[in-house]
Amino acid sequence: MAALGSLDKLSSTAGLVSLVLLAILPVLAGGSYLVGVLTVAAIYGIWAVSWDFMSGLTGRENFGHSLFIGVGAYAAGFLNVQMGLGPWWSLPASMVLAMFFGLLLGFPTLRLKGPYFALAMLSAAVIMQRLMLIFWEYTGGEEGIQDITPLIRNHLHYYWFVLGVLGLTTWLLAWLARSRWGLILRAIKGDEATCMAAGLPITTYKIISLIISAAFAGLGGALYAHYQLQVSPQLFAVVTSITIITMVYVGGIGTIFGPVGGALLLTMMTEGLRNFGEWRLMIYSVLLILILFFLPNGVVAPVWKKIRAKLSSHARSAGTQAPIDKAAGEV
Amino acid sequence: MADYLLDVKQLNKRFGGLHAVRDVNLQVRRGEIVGILGPNGAGKTTLFNLLTGFIPTDEGTVNFQGRSILGMKPHRIVNLGVARTFQLCRPFVGMSVIENVLVGSLGPRVTDVDLGARALHLLSEVGLAEKADTPSELLSYGDLRRLEIARALATDPELLLLDEPFAGLGSAEIESISALIRKLHAEKNLTILLIEHKLREFMQLVSRVVALDFGEVIAEGVPAEIVNHPRVIEAYIGKQTPEALA
Repeated sequence: MAALGSLDKLSSTAGLVSLVLLAILPVLAGGSYLVGVLTVAAIYGIWAVSWDFMSGLTGRENFGHSLFIGVGAYAAGFLNVQMGLGPWWSLPASMVLAMFFGLLLGFPTLRLKGPYFALAMLSAAVIMQRLMLIFWEYTGGEEGIQDITPLIRNHLHYYWFVLGVLGLTTWLLAWLARSRWGLILRAIKGDEATCMAAGLPITTYKIISLIISAAFAGLGGALYAHYQLQVSPQLFAVVTSITIITMVYVGGIGTIFGPVGGALLLTMMTEGLRNFGEWRLMIYSVLLILILFFLPNGVVAPVWKKIRAKLSSHARSAGTQAPIDKAAGEV
Repeated sequence: MADYLLDVKQLNKRFGGLHAVRDVNLQVRRGEIVGILGPNGAGKTTLFNLLTGFIPTDEGTVNFQGRSILGMKPHRIVNLGVARTFQLCRPFVGMSVIENVLVGSLGPRVTDVDLGARALHLLSEVGLAEKADTPSELLSYGDLRRLEIARALATDPELLLLDEPFAGLGSAEIESISALIRKLHAEKNLTILLIEHKLREFMQLVSRVVALDFGEVIAEGVPAEIVNHPRVIEAYIGKQTPEALA
């Protein structure tokens, strides 16, 4: 049955190939600048895919994803600098703390109907940002926490590590999305009352999904902290959440793979437009508006769907050994 | 007492000044098909929503299999074996027909290993097997009803509550849904409680009728008694002759 099947081979292969291409890209093109851009792009990929797992599948849009990112990053900074623990502790600690916040916020907010979940999450992120300033003795206030130890000193190696985390995260969440669990989340998006009539405790499912989403957002936050080597209250900024949501829409909401592509695409686009100087933001915004207006299902996922359809029809007509390179070349 | 599958006593629900359900008593034995009759606004759907936990009850008791289900969350009531359909079909938009049924079988009552095969079997029972992979939003209204029933059956119910299963359907469709309900009742030993006001089919289908008006039970009995009951006639069609009902 397609509904509860495993990941299809073509998508997994395409994912793996993209991952390898991304890994060797800076080796071929060189330049530490590119490594930096790609590292940030991969971290945004983790944030986008974790947002999509909860909000894309259930349709309950989380406008406070930056809260989990900030919590994860501050956990890293706090443990590493304030408590002097080794940098690797940051990864599990950021996930656990973000999960705790997911539970704390999901419990009251995911019972709310309509736009209140989005608004409550937005407010929570804003409040957290203020709290970082109010408790400046512990959080470093506006300056944040500086001098965080890198996880891996070599920038290229760290990029590979982040890319690996992105790959594993995407694979895990895509697998969950294809499982029974994902079917239930999509059903929640369809109709909550019908879910209840099907005997499903929807609030529980939504809370646990938010906790999973938070865990990976927090992990991404810690990776970001160990890349920037500092954290600041700006991490909680609403604009971060909005950027992530935009990436998900450009990638294709609810498709898991799509948002990762959206994150890579938009991060590259931002960099590519640097030459335009002060026109950059305007060109970027106009492009986004055009994409969202003309392609409401996003860019990455629909394009891949078309390619996949072509590939599988080629594979069928050509027998066992499909001329994938040729087919991909045509598209 | 214990012979009743569903035992409702002195059920009350008010919405502000509106007394939507007033002192309703209702007993359903295992294996019965009981109909709830009443004009629009009589409180039929509210009664269903109270029985299934979708809205909280003000006063009264609701026992299912001798156990109180009052105040339970809707999904817990479903998992005790009470399934419902909605008057306006509510499929999961963006999902195929079989996925809709699969979602119904993910609760704790269903222990089958091959849920896909089970869902397909349920679809063939309601006559939707060929449309298993069709997106549910492309179904006709009659097929949506069948899907709604299949999804309710997927939860493995003892008691099935059907909220106006004939609403919005043509006479041919009404007949075939009616035959489906009869078949399910006979083959699955299901107890069925259904709301309707399409009289002809309804009266042939049910073994007992509870008539509601303004939230109150105004009459109860076998269909032949109900169609001749003066209060039912008055509530339903005003002061006309009983022949108009049959």
